[in-house]
Amino acid sequence: MADQAHRRAPANQTEENPSANNHAYEELRHLIIAPEQEELADIQERLDDRARRTQDVSSVVAEAISMRRDQHGERALAQALAPTVQETLRESVRRDPHPLADALFPVMGPAIRKSISEALRGMLESFNQALEHSLSPRGIKWRIEALRTGKPYAEIVLMHSLLFRVEQVFLIHRRTGLVLSHVVAREVASQDASMVAGMLSAIQQFVRDSFDSKKEESLDSLNVGELEVWIEEGPDAVLAAVIRGHAPSDYRLTMKEALEEIQQRYSSALENFKGDSAPFLSAEELLTRLLAAQHREPAATKKPRAALATMAILGVLLVAYFGYSIYLMYEWSRFLHAVRGQPGIVVLSYDHEGGRYHIQGFKDPLASDPNTLLAQAGLDPKNAEFDLAPYYSLDDSIVAQRARQLLHPPDGVTLSENHGELRVEGTASPEWISRVQERAPYIAGVASVDTSHLQDSHLLQLNAPKSAVESMILVFPIGRAELEPGQENTVVQTQKQIRDIVAQANRLGEQTSVELTGHSDSTGVEGANMLLSQERADNIRGTLIRAGVQPANLHTRGVGATQPLRPEDTEENRRLNRSVTFRITFTPTSTGN
Amino acid sequence: MLQKKICMLGSFSVGKTSLVRRFVESIFFEVYHTSIGVKVDKKVVQLDNEDVALVLWDIHGEDAYQKIHMSYLRGMSGYLLVIDGTRRQTLEDALALNQRVIQEVGKVPAILVLNKSDLVDKWEIDSARESELAATGWTILRTSAKTGASVEQVFSQLAAATLAE
Repeated sequence: MADQAHRRAPANQTEENPSANNHAYEELRHLIIAPEQEELADIQERLDDRARRTQDVSSVVAEAISMRRDQHGERALAQALAPTVQETLRESVRRDPHPLADALFPVMGPAIRKSISEALRGMLESFNQALEHSLSPRGIKWRIEALRTGKPYAEIVLMHSLLFRVEQVFLIHRRTGLVLSHVVAREVASQDASMVAGMLSAIQQFVRDSFDSKKEESLDSLNVGELEVWIEEGPDAVLAAVIRGHAPSDYRLTMKEALEEIQQRYSSALENFKGDSAPFLSAEELLTRLLAAQHREPAATKKPRAALATMAILGVLLVAYFGYSIYLMYEWSRFLHAVRGQPGIVVLSYDHEGGRYHIQGFKDPLASDPNTLLAQAGLDPKNAEFDLAPYYSLDDSIVAQRARQLLHPPDGVTLSENHGELRVEGTASPEWISRVQERAPYIAGVASVDTSHLQDSHLLQLNAPKSAVESMILVFPIGRAELEPGQENTVVQTQKQIRDIVAQANRLGEQTSVELTGHSDSTGVEGANMLLSQERADNIRGTLIRAGVQPANLHTRGVGATQPLRPEDTEENRRLNRSVTFRITFTPTSTGN
Repeated sequence: MLQKKICMLGSFSVGKTSLVRRFVESIFFEVYHTSIGVKVDKKVVQLDNEDVALVLWDIHGEDAYQKIHMSYLRGMSGYLLVIDGTRRQTLEDALALNQRVIQEVGKVPAILVLNKSDLVDKWEIDSARESELAATGWTILRTSAKTGASVEQVFSQLAAATLAE
């Protein structure tokens, strides 16, 4: 205000005092400060004029909000605006809810659907968790069904668990609304049927009248909390079922069929109905069947049978399992016993874990393969694990086997082992025989070698002349060291045979030793007999040497009457005891060196 | 048991519901009256040693907001036309309604019930008018829902009439 007064004062002065000085001064002043004054006035007007101020602010309000949001984040602005926005919405709804409803309509449907599907998914998940570990036979059955159909397990459970119960069924006369028949499931409390039937009819009429529906259209279900009332209308009769839970849609078909049957069966009774429900008594059975058609779950009477069957199967399986286990245990113990008796295998310990046998011990490389033994016992080698360290068994059969492996006996030679003594029998080449004698003592488990029953195959051909010579008996007269006459030929033949034998044995590398044994009969003095018998043997030796046999091959001894060839019971026997006999042995030339 | 559908008709507040409330079996709330315009109750009466169940369709009185659903009357064996003796207009309305009822369902046994007999000194219907009505064929009974006078008789008589049909 003060400024304004100050501004106006000079202007008035100019008008009242038009002196030149003043005028000039005013003009100057005007020139200097007028533009500024106008600007100031304009600003002042902007501040004072509400309309202009509003206009000014409106041009920047959007930018201001945007800037504020960028500077301090959305929250501060939202907090400041929230009460106003809330009040605005409230006021808008109070005035007219339609614009807001219209605006929200496109988002409400999806929002509700989303919320419902979230809730359902949560429910299915918790169902899944709750049932994940249930291993009842029914659970297993459902699981198989889920696998078979490819549906999620929870959906199968939900499908099967959908319990419903048809609690009451009304048969109502359509025209009068009077009840013709009424059945109630056990343990269900029911109201007076005639009133309920009347009210149901009234509601039917009400709906039909109120919504101007066509004659053939009618109310077919009512929902009251957990209860549903399904209504099926025929020309003369109405069937109403009170259902707890959610019945499958095919129950509707069951109702339709029942109603059709009633309509057909009681057509005249329905037409002439005057309030007497007696003719419809028999319909109760039909209605009861509708009650009975309720359960999705297997009836209670079935359960024990199913349970019994399951138990029986389990029992049989259990018995079979135990029986088989015992059989296996028996087989295993038999097998282990057999393994223990097996030469070359020593079982130190065994244990049974997780259906597998673990056997520890020693095994000779020559012993039988235990897996083969398992297969022979009819057991699965996969169920056994052998941990057998190698060792040398001293078991007779294994030692014999080892000897066979190392000595390669030719045909006709048998090796047997008896407590460390290796017995070699049969006929073999002198090379092999010498090898046996050289190597056998080094075989593990062989302490000594018996080759006394082993024959040199080469000497076999000398057998015939040898035994011919050895069967020869040269006889002497009593008390004499000269041959009885008449034996010249025999002596010549014997000389020849011995020469041949020695020569042949020489070729085979065998040295021949011919032992000449002088005998006497038992008559006379023993000392004289010894001398006599020695003399007889020496005489024959001399004869042989003269015939060309090498003296080195000939050995003599006199045994007197100590080793009589015959018992001296006859003269002929006594004569045979006054004799010289031959014994031929061969020794390999090589071993001799 | 023999059943009969009986309708109770009459103007607003003539005492139909009071008749029902005291003398019949009821399981439904009266809210049905204002919602769907009817409430179903039951009255068992004995006739010649035989029980007859009267299924009573208590139909809401007509007013500016609610018309009688004539379809509710279908299949009835008889009806009670209830009049408030203290209001003459209710008689005229009832007679007009009766014409529509006969048009809709034909002639069936009916009883004209003059209710509120306990307030007879305030009545607007004199005995002359009553005789006039009786002469046209009406069975007329005076009742009092308050005292219970003749209520049982009304139901028995109507039941008997429906059985005679």
